[in-house]
Order: sequence, then C-alpha cells, then structure tokens
Amino acid sequence: MDTQVPLTKEEYIKEMKKQFNDSPDLICKEFQFRNQTLVIHFVNYQVKKDLLERDLLGTLTSAKRAWSVEDLQNKIPLASSTVERSLANISPALIHGSVSVYIEGESQVVLFALPNLERRALNRAETESLVFGPQISFTESLVTNMNVIRWRLDTDDLVVEKLIVGERIKSEVRLVYLKSLANEENVQTMRQRISDLKVDEVEDTSVLGQMIEDSSSTVFPQLITTELPDRFCNSISKGRVGVLVDKSPTTLIGPMSFFNFFESTEDLYMRWNMGTFIRFLRLFAMFLSIVLTPFYVAALTYHYEIIPSSLLISLGQSRATVPFPPVIEALLLEMLIEFLREAGARLPTKVGQTMGIVGGIVLGQAAVKAGFTSNILIIIIALSALASFTAPSYLMGSAIRIIRFPIIILAGAWGLIGIVFALSFLAIHLLKQHSLGRPYLAPLYPFEWKDFNDTIFRTTFQKNDRRPNYIMTKDRYRFDKQKSNKKNDVKRI
Amino acid sequence: MKVNLEVSKADSFRAFYLFFVVHTLQIGAGLMGVPRILFLEAESDAWISILVGGLYLHFIAWIMIKILREYENADILGIQTDLFGKVFGYILGCAFVVYIFLILLTVIKNYIEVVQVFIFPEIPIWLMALFLISLMVYAILGGLRVVVGTCFLFFFLTVWLVFTIYKPITYMDIGHFLPVFEASPTEILSGARQMTYSVLGMEVLLFVYPFVDNKKHVQLPVHLAVATTTFLVLLVTVVSIGYFSPYQLKETVWATLSLFKIISFSMIERFDFIAVSLWMMVVLPNVILFSWILQQSLHRLFRINKKKSLYGIGILIFFSSILLEYRLDINRLTDITAKVGFYLVFIYPVFVYLALLIRKGWRKGRSL
Repeated sequence: MDTQVPLTKEEYIKEMKKQFNDSPDLICKEFQFRNQTLVIHFVNYQVKKDLLERDLLGTLTSAKRAWSVEDLQNKIPLASSTVERSLANISPALIHGSVSVYIEGESQVVLFALPNLERRALNRAETESLVFGPQISFTESLVTNMNVIRWRLDTDDLVVEKLIVGERIKSEVRLVYLKSLANEENVQTMRQRISDLKVDEVEDTSVLGQMIEDSSSTVFPQLITTELPDRFCNSISKGRVGVLVDKSPTTLIGPMSFFNFFESTEDLYMRWNMGTFIRFLRLFAMFLSIVLTPFYVAALTYHYEIIPSSLLISLGQSRATVPFPPVIEALLLEMLIEFLREAGARLPTKVGQTMGIVGGIVLGQAAVKAGFTSNILIIIIALSALASFTAPSYLMGSAIRIIRFPIIILAGAWGLIGIVFALSFLAIHLLKQHSLGRPYLAPLYPFEWKDFNDTIFRTTFQKNDRRPNYIMTKDRYRFDKQKSNKKNDVKRI
Repeated sequence: MKVNLEVSKADSFRAFYLFFVVHTLQIGAGLMGVPRILFLEAESDAWISILVGGLYLHFIAWIMIKILREYENADILGIQTDLFGKVFGYILGCAFVVYIFLILLTVIKNYIEVVQVFIFPEIPIWLMALFLISLMVYAILGGLRVVVGTCFLFFFLTVWLVFTIYKPITYMDIGHFLPVFEASPTEILSGARQMTYSVLGMEVLLFVYPFVDNKKHVQLPVHLAVATTTFLVLLVTVVSIGYFSPYQLKETVWATLSLFKIISFSMIERFDFIAVSLWMMVVLPNVILFSWILQQSLHRLFRINKKKSLYGIGILIFFSSILLEYRLDINRLTDITAKVGFYLVFIYPVFVYLALLIRKGWRKGRSL
C-alpha cells in the first residue's frame, strides 16, 4: 500500500512507524516553531550526528521566518536534498542514511542525505598478494571501490552503468567498461545476464559470477574475480567488461581466456623476459601439479619399467614397509595436504602457523617413520601442492587441486591409459567452455598466433601493439608499431 | 536431400584448420604398422613407394578440391545425388556410411590391440572401447567447433613424439638400403597402394568442405597436410628400415611403436609405455572425426536426429568392438576396409570428376 503525503501530523508519524515495523531505531523528533510543526525522522546509526545537529537542526531552528519546502531545499547548507511524496520511497532513503523533514500541511517531504558509512579503510591485498606494484585492494564499499577505479582510470571514456539485482534484498551492481574499446556484444551479454537474474539476493561478487557464468557444471572459473584494483583496471583498459557488487571486496572481469588465469599483473611490472619466464613457470607448475602424483601412482602400480633402475632401488626401499597400494597411499597424503590447507584457511592466523609445523613436519615425518608412506611420495605430493599454489587466481588453483583426485584414481585403476584418458577428457572439456560466449581456450583455439603476446608470453611493450582478438575490442591496435621503436633523444656512442 | 548445405557461422571454421583435420585423420592407427607392410612389398625400396604414393595423394587432393569447387557449398553426398540421380546417390552415400563405420571400427580395434600387446595384456576390450567412445560422444556433443578443436589441440599434444626419433636415427645402418632400385615397378606400385591404405582419411575433405569459411584458401592447407603425412610415413619407414634388420622388420608388426623402445631419458627408462598411451591422443581425433562424418551423413541421407544417431553410433561401435575378438578377424576387417577405402577414396573421385566434366561438356553442347 502506497501512502502519500499530505497527511495530518499524527497520521504521518503513525504511517512512518508502520513502515519501519515499529523499529526503535527510527528516531522521530517534533519541533514547534513559529506556529509550524516540523517532523524530523532519521535512523539512529545511519546518520552523521554532528552534521545533523550543526548543519540541519542548527539552521532549522535559527531561521527568521517560517519554513517552506522551497526554503528547505535552497537555504540549508547541505548538498543533496530531494523531495518525495510517497512513504514507500521515503523509508528506503532513511535506511540509506537520509534525514526526512516534514512540514505539517505541506504536500512533500524533504530528504537530506547524511549517510554515516562505517567502512573498512583501504588495505593491502590479502588473497592475491604482489611482491611489488600497487598494493591496495578493494574494500566492501562500492563507493570506495568506484573512487579507486575513477582514480586509476582517469578518462571520460569510462562508462559506469548501474544495475540492481536481488528480488528481496537488493544489491547495487556496477558495470564498468571503456566506451571506445569494449565490444558492445560483450557488454550486452554481461548486462543481459545480470539484469535477467531472478534471485532473492546476491551475497557476493563470486556468487554473481557463478550465476552468470556460461557453464556452471565445470570446475573451471570462466570469469576472473580479483580484489586488486590494478588488475581490474588493467583488464578494463584492455577492453574487457568489469562488474562490481556493493558489499563485496572482489570484482568480476570477463571475457577471460583460460590462460588469463595464470597471469598476474606483476608480470607487467617485471621486465618482459622475466615476466614470460614466470608465466611459463606457472603453466608448467599447473601441468606438473595435475600429472605428477598420478604418474607416480601409475608407474608404481603398473609400469615399473618406466622408472630408471637406480631410482627404482631407492623407491623400492622406501616403499618396502608401506602396506597400501600406491593409490591409497597417494590419496591419503593428498587428503592430508588438503586438510592442512583447509585448516590453515579456517584457523585464526596465530594458530595457523603452528598448524603448518604440526601438519607438515611432524605428520609427514611420522607418516614415513611409521611406514605409512614412502619418502619419495612425500616429495612428490609436496611438490604438486606447491605447484598448485602458484596459480595467481585462487579459484583456478582450487580447480586444479580438485581435478587431481579423479586423475589419481584413474591412474590407480588403469595406469597411464587412465591418465591419458583423463587428460584427453580435460582437453575436450576445456575446448567446450566459453567465457561470455567467447572461446575459453583462445588464443590457442581458435588459433591466433599474434595474441600469444598478451596471454602466454609477454613481449616488450613496444612490440605489443595489438589487443587480443578474442576480446573483440572496437580498436584492435594500441599504437603504431612502426613509430614505437624509435629512440631519437640520444646519439649512442 | 539438398545438394548445397546451409552452414551457420558458428559451425564454420577457417581453412587453416583443414591442415590439422586432414593430417590428424590420415595419421592414426595406420602409422603404427606401416613400415613392415611397405617393407613386405618393396623391401628396401619402400621409400620410393612412399614417394610415388605421396604424389598420388596430392593428385587425389587436387581432384577432390576440383570437384568440390564445381559446387557452391556441397559435400560428396549432395554431389553424388546431383550427378548420378537420387537412387545411385543414396546407394553411394550408404557405401560411404558403411565404409566410414568400418574404418572407425578398425581404428578402435587396432589401437585396443596395441594397448593390450604393449602395456596392458589384461585390460578388457569393453573398457578401452568405453574410454574412446565416451570421449568421442562428449566431444561431438560440442559441435563441429569442438571436433575441429580436438584435431588441432591433439596434433600439438602429440607432434613432439616425432622428435624422439632422433635416437633410433643414430643407430641406423645405411647398408640396409643398398642396393637401390632392387624392387620391380609392380612391387613399388603395390607398395604405393599399400601406403595409401594406411593414410586413408583424406575423404574427410569431401564432407567438411561446406563448413570451411574461406574456401579460396583450401588448396594450401590440404596439400601441406598431405605432404606432412607423406613425410612422416617416409621418416618412420626409412628409420625403421635402417634401424631394424630386414628379418626383424618382417616380424615386427608395429615397427613405429617399437622404435620408441630404445628411447630413454634420465627420468623415464622405457619411453614406449608413454608413447603407446599417448597414442590415444593420436587415435582420438580419428575416432571423433569419423563419427562426426557418420553422424553428419546419416543426418544428410535419412534426416536422422543428430543426437540420437550419435548415441546409436556409440552403442553400435561399442558392441561391435566387443564382439570382434581375434587378431585374424581384425586383420581381415582391416584388409577389407582398406580395399573398400582404396576404391572409394583414391579411385572413385577421379570418376566423379570425369562425370562432372562430361556433364559440363554435354550441357555446353546442348546450349549451343
């Protein structure tokens, strides 16, 4: 039921109370003032009290003549004031930190926004840490995040669209992209998918990500979630589309290729050859992390011949007391590592360090001494766990850790054939994925050699003149390659 | 059945990928045993047979593209009905379907047998068949984009195996090739014919051509693919002849795979285990693409729902591969398939082209 002013004072106060379910937080104040009755409403903790008292109440009570709605809007030294008639619109504004002023008999209520935002300050990034480069990370506040983005992307080309998701509990979502670069189709896909959502609420950006992803049955993330402003802005300036959700410190970027998940902005801050090397290192680590343990299991269960004889002796010695088949042994240890990781993530940081020592050293040592596992397996498992943590994207790292388990079981059941089957399945699976309708394995397939520059290698900035093809940016080139290599300031001797 | 196909943009692919499609389809189970087969025919002059066979492959590729270019956007099934009438078109179409089914079956069976001989004597046939067929169904459900993608990706995942051949090369004995030109021309020709058997798969061009995006650039990738295939067969055969003694080579059924046996790295003692397992990635594009052709042909000929026919093909292949048990049966089947394939792939296109020319001339004569 939509109740509208004008009402009598008593009716107005009653209706407002009803709107707020008789909440004790709604403060109602009446002023008798030059034969006028002013009713002021606000929510206790949502309003900046000092501003309210000094600028609003102070001005209100010190006036020389009676107030009208126009006067309220013009003569009070507060920037944002709006007029509203319907009570259904007034109460959300109050919740967001407005103060309503109602003059009895008038047909409109004036709202002043004095929000008191209890927010965390900008902090160092926790989940995606960089050794060097910008250190701040996004916070839960959309306003702060937009502030940071506007600061980093200093251009009027930046488009910010506002969308509201959530049927019951609403969240504000912002679509961010560069007008002159971002492909209209990509923007439209993202916009469409978000505005088509029919859900009660969106808890976090990563939840929104899962809701709008192309395929929800796969373990691989298709949109990057990041808490780093530099990574976000870097992607936007490449022509991608970004999404921010209020109340979430992470942001969403798409379309993404599989290889983008192994990129870190740190690669850009290092020299190109170092950056390329580290990118290769990460891809290799991913491969190793998937294959190493299954390979051990396959070799020890079925294919002893593969192992060189010198290694076989020490392997045999360390496995001589182990009573389990290699699959069980490997699964046990993999479980141990996963337990450690999970416990370390859940425990308070102070206890977490002891966890690492207890789990890693004591348990590992004891397991070998007790004849539970072989030494070599411990090395292999530790290596592959370490390798899986090199992925700059936490979601991708977890995906890699998960797919290892079925491969280990397959290797235990059918040896190398099982591994190759699993890898083939993985390859076909990745081929079938899309990110915002763009191929996931780009630039590998569809093959675009020049795009390798920006995804798999990192060449010098002077040579990297093309924007990746699969993002389908409006402007394909960053600059004229011919001109970029000339250095005409110094004559070299 | 319409002669020309309407292809959506999502299904089409660049001509560049034809290289991988044609090449991966030619290289498959055949390459594993080709050295011995050629050696039995032409002894140490087998390499001449390969060169002759390779030339003929190029000729056929050229003819195929000529035929396809006569039409706007047609595959062989459409062309046949257009040329020979509906009845013969359907009969020939069915011949293709049967042939593709047989070749699919032989590819799967041969690989399973290799796995049983080299790695797992006791791995059940049904399990291996299930592995291959489940991947095949999974890939084809993704459409032609994924099918071509598997050819492309698996080519790169396996092509590095070629480089491991450097080791056997160092053990080669040039004396095995001497004297040259020992074999009679008939022996060389029958060797060339045997060589074409093991590189069947070029017919894929007749089916995927309508799906190629930029049809102008078809020639180069196809001929490159054929040349690469010829080169690989040549390389493998030459190294095998040099590496094995003549008597040994006659006894070694899968000479190519046996070459991997002496390769070892500091971490891996017996490389052939890995090579044979990885060969699954060589065989898979074959299986996937042939089944795609089957599915596509059944859809074209009889309007069978693509998904249903795919499951049907999967089940049919699964049960036929279980029922076919003995080596002799597989051998006979392979021989029959190869013979059918030889006529269908390497002789028949020439006739189609001649028929096209005759019709063209006849129409020209009538219009005058």
